Amino acid sequence: MRAVDGVSFDMMAGERRGVVGESGSGKSVTAMSIMRLIEPPAGEIVTGTIEFQGQNLLALPEDDMQDVRGGRIAMIFQDPMTSLNPVYTVGDQLIETIMLHQHVSKHDARRIAADALGDVQIPEPMARLDDYPHQFSGGMRQRVMIAMGLSCNPDLLIADEPTTALDVTTQAQIMDLMLKLAEDRGTAVMLITHDLGVVAGFCDTIQVMYAGGIVEYGNATDLFGNPQHPYTWGLLGSMTRLDESHTERLHSVRGAPPSLINPPLGCRFNPRCDFVQDICHDSYPALRESGRESQIAACHLATELDLNTIDVTGVVGS
Amino acid sequence: MLAYIIRRLVYGVVTLVALSLVVFLLIQASGGGPLDRLKLNPRAQNLIAQLTEQWGLDKPVMQQYFTWLKNFVTPADVPAADGLIVLFGKIGLRGLTPIVLVLSAGAYTVWAFLVKIGQAWWRPVRAFSLVFVWLIALWLAKSRLVFSLTWGESFRGDGPVWDNIFGAAGATFRLGLAALVMALIIGIPLGIYQAIRQYSFFDQVGTTLSFVAFSTPIFIIAVGFQLLLALYLEKWTGVKLFFVTGMSDSSYGDLGFMAQMGDIVRHLTLPAMSIALISIAGYARFQRASMLEVMHSDYLRTAKAKGLPRRRVILKHALRNALIPIVTLVSLDVAGIIGGAIITESIFGWPGVGRLYIQAINAVDYPTIMAVVMSIGIGIVMMNIVADILYGVLDPRVRYD
Repeated sequence: MRAVDGVSFDMMAGERRGVVGESGSGKSVTAMSIMRLIEPPAGEIVTGTIEFQGQNLLALPEDDMQDVRGGRIAMIFQDPMTSLNPVYTVGDQLIETIMLHQHVSKHDARRIAADALGDVQIPEPMARLDDYPHQFSGGMRQRVMIAMGLSCNPDLLIADEPTTALDVTTQAQIMDLMLKLAEDRGTAVMLITHDLGVVAGFCDTIQVMYAGGIVEYGNATDLFGNPQHPYTWGLLGSMTRLDESHTERLHSVRGAPPSLINPPLGCRFNPRCDFVQDICHDSYPALRESGRESQIAACHLATELDLNTIDVTGVVGS
Repeated sequence: MLAYIIRRLVYGVVTLVALSLVVFLLIQASGGGPLDRLKLNPRAQNLIAQLTEQWGLDKPVMQQYFTWLKNFVTPADVPAADGLIVLFGKIGLRGLTPIVLVLSAGAYTVWAFLVKIGQAWWRPVRAFSLVFVWLIALWLAKSRLVFSLTWGESFRGDGPVWDNIFGAAGATFRLGLAALVMALIIGIPLGIYQAIRQYSFFDQVGTTLSFVAFSTPIFIIAVGFQLLLALYLEKWTGVKLFFVTGMSDSSYGDLGFMAQMGDIVRHLTLPAMSIALISIAGYARFQRASMLEVMHSDYLRTAKAKGLPRRRVILKHALRNALIPIVTLVSLDVAGIIGGAIITESIFGWPGVGRLYIQAINAVDYPTIMAVVMSIGIGIVMMNIVADILYGVLDPRVRYD
């Protein structure tokens, strides 16, 4: 089974990229592949290149890859409740990372760790270093994870659904914090999420993934304002909006994501698309310019359809 | 912490009373009596009548139970001794003190090792909780409360049950400890290695062999070892490596120190291996499962994503978490090791509590049977409490209240 197939993209230094798509679309697998954390028997990277600052990560020996992980590319995960080792103090786990990548004394590492906790606005950072993960709340643990990720000043931070497991008010705080820290340090962030609201406030550019591939890419304003792919259009239409009255049933993209073991022929979105035509069953659409600069979509009809003028509720109602 | 230990001890006493009642009734219900063999002798009428009267065998069952309980918990009238004599003299050597010492030292070593691999150096503070328990045990051992107990007189005419059991306890302790150490140092690393190399040839072979060992009865294993490693080994190679009976050679007293140690090892290996094999299989399977679960956990992914080398990920982050569940298994398995010792001691002629127990059962010697069951019960209750305390040491999330 190919969990991710033909995904190709560039990221600039300091760029904040949103990767959106439903569960199973290959967002996390893409991120785990960049970190080379896909291990047999769970899976393997069959072919391709991942270039980071001129180095092909897939060709690096494991030792060098360990310097990249945590040092130049850091990653934080979805569930802060289970992502920290329960039997070591938060300080232990932070100091371990710092000493691994920065070659400083234990005493200095402790100071850096406390600063890192301070940066993520944890009160009394020096004292809290000696606390265990279970003594922190969910939001606080995610702050610890962010502190751990940023403690070595990586060039790229991959955040895999960092706020999904948190309640809404905490989500907003965590996102504001990440935005501030990333801006201050010029860290590039790859934010993986299925929450379009989170992406809108945070990201410069967005790529939409579906069934193991990228279906649309563009800068945030253009993509939200003028979706070119019917899937993006459907996703945006399924959001609740505060500025509209709610007399209609909320739109949903009909059907379920396709099986990747036996994907549909042609465009993988064709069983769920409201605009499907014959060509959609015949060939897989490549990403192509869609009339607007810096916005590309993998849809045969992208240039013909003007999705902006079609009301989502009208299609569903029919 | 102290309140917790006291509460657990009270529960333990209730458990032990229930255990004694059930076992006493089972012995009564199993038929036969301590005087059956004597009844074959037509000239023993008077003796039978006298012993029946003396042991109260004609009384109702519950009355016999309370008579036994009274004898079990009543201290014998031992002359008072000075504190130091109590500590180091006659009573100190009489039984439990060295065992308590070794047990607590062992617990302390295990604790220290676990802390060491976890590299949490500030935690020696917690050692005080264990040392404290140890001091209480030592005080109990020193006081006359425990050491003047006789646990009643044996029905086989060989004196106080306490003396018989603790005379044999050293042999069983040596055997059990050797088996436990063997099981721990082979079983746990085996399971960890299998988990790290999941589905490798080594893992498959290990899993299959564990399954075979786990399902083979201990008397087949014991006799198999006797045949293969002693009898046939000597027959085919002419090397007499292991002995199959007893604890030591008749010439033991005349040997030098190294020769004595060698003699002990050559007698101990086969029976200890027989008992350990099942535990090795059990620990390896359990440790493998526990390790695999931890290896798929989110915090291990975090550890890898931090750039830690695989060795550190496994030795530091996985191992300590994977050892937590096995603490329970090992503490419960002490019962299995004692159970294994009962059969193994009889096969290898090992002069321990297990053999004493079989002899007592054959002679329907209630006080001895009951005392063996009760000492195993006391041991298990104590081990469970120790395991729960160890949990707190290993896992900071556990709090006692």
